[in-house]
Amino acid sequence: MLQFKLVLLGDSSVGKSSIVHRFVKDTFDELRESTIGAAFLSQSITIHPNDGNEANPKDVVIKFEIWDTAGQERYKSLAPMYYRNANAALVVYDITQEDSLQKARNWVDELKNKVGDDDLVIYLLGNKVDICQETPVVETSPESNEAGNDEQKVRAISTEEAGQYAQDQGLLFREVSAKTGEGIKEIFQDIGEKLYDLKKDEFLSKQNRQINGANNGQVDIHLQRPSTNDPTSCCS
Amino acid sequence: MNLNENYLDTEIPKKQLKPNKNGDYEGVAIVAPTSEPTTSVNMDETFFTKAPLAVTLTGDHSMSRSVSLNSLSTAYRTSTRTPSQARKPLARSKLLSADLTGSNDSIAQPTATLKRHSDPYFNWENDIRSRLAESIYSMETSVRGSEIQRRPYVSNEIPNVFKLSKLSDSSKPKDSQASYDKNFLIFTSAGKPIYCMHGKDEQIMSYTGLINTIISYFQVNGPSELKTISTYASGKRLTFLDKSPILLMAQSERGESSNELLNQLDFLYSYILSSLSERQLLRLFSKRENFDLRNYLETTDFENLNEICSLICNRMFPDLLLNSLQCLPFRHSSRVKLQNVILQQLDKRQDIPRGTLLYGLIIAPQNKLCCVLRPKGHTLHTTDLHLLFCLISHQFQNLDETQELWVPICFPKFNSSGFLYCYIKFLPNSAHNNEKSALVLISAQKDAFFSLKSFSDELITKLEGERLLKKINSAKGFKLSDIPAPMVHHFIYKSKQNVQYVMPHFEVNSNITLDSSQRLEYELKLKTYYQQLHGTVVRDNGNLLSRSILNFVKWSSKDNEDQTIDDPRMNFSELDEYVIGNSSFEQESVNMLGIAWVTPKFELYLIGNNGVVDKKVLLRSARKVANWCQKNESRLFISDGAVF
Repeated sequence: MLQFKLVLLGDSSVGKSSIVHRFVKDTFDELRESTIGAAFLSQSITIHPNDGNEANPKDVVIKFEIWDTAGQERYKSLAPMYYRNANAALVVYDITQEDSLQKARNWVDELKNKVGDDDLVIYLLGNKVDICQETPVVETSPESNEAGNDEQKVRAISTEEAGQYAQDQGLLFREVSAKTGEGIKEIFQDIGEKLYDLKKDEFLSKQNRQINGANNGQVDIHLQRPSTNDPTSCCS
Repeated sequence: MNLNENYLDTEIPKKQLKPNKNGDYEGVAIVAPTSEPTTSVNMDETFFTKAPLAVTLTGDHSMSRSVSLNSLSTAYRTSTRTPSQARKPLARSKLLSADLTGSNDSIAQPTATLKRHSDPYFNWENDIRSRLAESIYSMETSVRGSEIQRRPYVSNEIPNVFKLSKLSDSSKPKDSQASYDKNFLIFTSAGKPIYCMHGKDEQIMSYTGLINTIISYFQVNGPSELKTISTYASGKRLTFLDKSPILLMAQSERGESSNELLNQLDFLYSYILSSLSERQLLRLFSKRENFDLRNYLETTDFENLNEICSLICNRMFPDLLLNSLQCLPFRHSSRVKLQNVILQQLDKRQDIPRGTLLYGLIIAPQNKLCCVLRPKGHTLHTTDLHLLFCLISHQFQNLDETQELWVPICFPKFNSSGFLYCYIKFLPNSAHNNEKSALVLISAQKDAFFSLKSFSDELITKLEGERLLKKINSAKGFKLSDIPAPMVHHFIYKSKQNVQYVMPHFEVNSNITLDSSQRLEYELKLKTYYQQLHGTVVRDNGNLLSRSILNFVKWSSKDNEDQTIDDPRMNFSELDEYVIGNSSFEQESVNMLGIAWVTPKFELYLIGNNGVVDKKVLLRSARKVANWCQKNESRLFISDGAVF
């Protein structure tokens, strides 16, 4: 089993907690209260690595440990401790809120400056596609969009604009809806595969070492970035 | 209930079914002869438990009606009627008086007697019971000049002797400040509004300007700062707390002392600090005096302030009044085991140094403290804990046990300029999903989450293994009927040494489940009784009048003469009387007696059932309550907690 750390960042009330809850519990709560501080959750997925090298590709279970942070300005000073050891960051904006993309850009900049690690996967997410008139263009099915069409809210950030930005910065990008669940599973599948690709050499070599070294064939590797939060290390 | 108590034979005069002083309701069933303790909780237990009434009283029409009357309400007002209206009651008067006599007998006689006469007695009793069950619904009584009301005969509700609360008065337009009997305002020294419990922005804008002017006037000209403005005629009171750059104001017509109001304001201020910390607050205002704090506070802050205000104003929340915590009654051996398990787990984790884990708490639903883990020589201030409890019960209640939270909170009494970090996790509970206990681990280090998380994981596994989790989840409070103290409606017992209090469950009637508005009304009523009881034993500055006090407080309708007793054995004895003003209709005569009893060890506030006027009887019960609480002290209170 692989274990990765995720962090959700973004302006307040863009739907970070809703995305996490859609992923972890497959529920949506219309009246979710603002997050205070940060919440820690975990969820596992299975990916099917599809590399030609292996004759017999096996399913890989990936466990995500997710930091769902508060978007409020006040907690911003705490953010570094959440993203410092993250393998992936989900930067969320609200497609109906013009300035939420700017906040997302700030987060991306901060991540690139402070973390400065190419291995960090950054995923730009435009949430709340369900309440828009427009049909999102990329990767989403138009049928699932009709429910929320009565809403008067209009899209403030076009898919092209955000997509272009993501491409320039080398980010993964997707527009989703936590309310309908549209695109949510795919995010985590994408991240799982991407991280597996990045880490698989490390993973496989460790696996081999483990198999060779230990008598039992059990694989239980916590593959993650070196963590100062690791309770077993002394320097926390 | 202990049937061997023979208090009735000796203490209570023989029941008199005499007409009211007005004498104008002849022929009407005297449903509740108010000098009689027939409405006692304990009596209910005796009378109804063996065979529950066929018809339950749940949420019934009559209850809600009498509540909506919203007056000095109780279930059985003796009211004036015209003969035509009295027709039905007349038919039942005989039954009722017979029943009441019967029920009294059943209390007064030891169980053995009951058994001897079993056959005829029980037949008779069953008959009465079934007919009573009918009458609970069908009896029509009316209020002068009002519509026909249906009310149950048997209830152990306590009457409301206080001024009408605006709480349930939804008919009035709530647009002006004056329409509330209690309000809180928070604004900056520059006059910008921050928070207002009731009222809209436009309304309070001019208000804050005025208040600022008045306060400044006193600051400039007065010998000391302005604390309270009271108008004796209308009983209004405005109390101010100047915490520049923030000013807080309470407006109340509920007869609270200015010290109580100051405490409430201080609690609101503490909340703001808990969210921002004093250092940050001062920094924000040091740049610009006219800083608008509203933009800096978040929606959650306003929600929490709303919650705290409603807790202070409308709920039974004696924590602030008594400055103590409510404790979860828990078997002593289990509590010891729980503490030992926690300490053992902590011992195993030598990698968690001092400072990483400052405090640990287990908090049961409804903000009851279950367990404390603390370093030697350190305790957390009750205000800080109240703030934490409020946050947990309100903000996080819809979270489940799969999430763990890491929340920075400033504990103003611990250190008002810094934050502590709270690891919060709800404990799994299979039985009641909406009632969850929480484990809170408090650290001074903001990156200690993973240390505390692994400690918590181990601890919870261990607690589950030792079946302690189940015990915590199934821990019940106690009921009044667990204590052999008759004639008592409700009480609060505070252990001074532990700074904790306990009170029995609210049980208006086991057959009646209150809906939320009724429950609110009941809590508010009870709250006011306790507030007045407590008011008799403290000075204006909030300190107790004396080390030992025994006060009887009587609430009665104005035509009842008051009685005084002087017990020479007591250090201090006085009788306060609250008289109800004119009411638009006649109501059940009110004869409420309460006791405020303070000793160096404990404080006991106790409210008797309506109609219990004999102080000796009530005092005897109070002694029993106090004895019971002392006997069960190790079960009711946390004495030390797990100290490391």
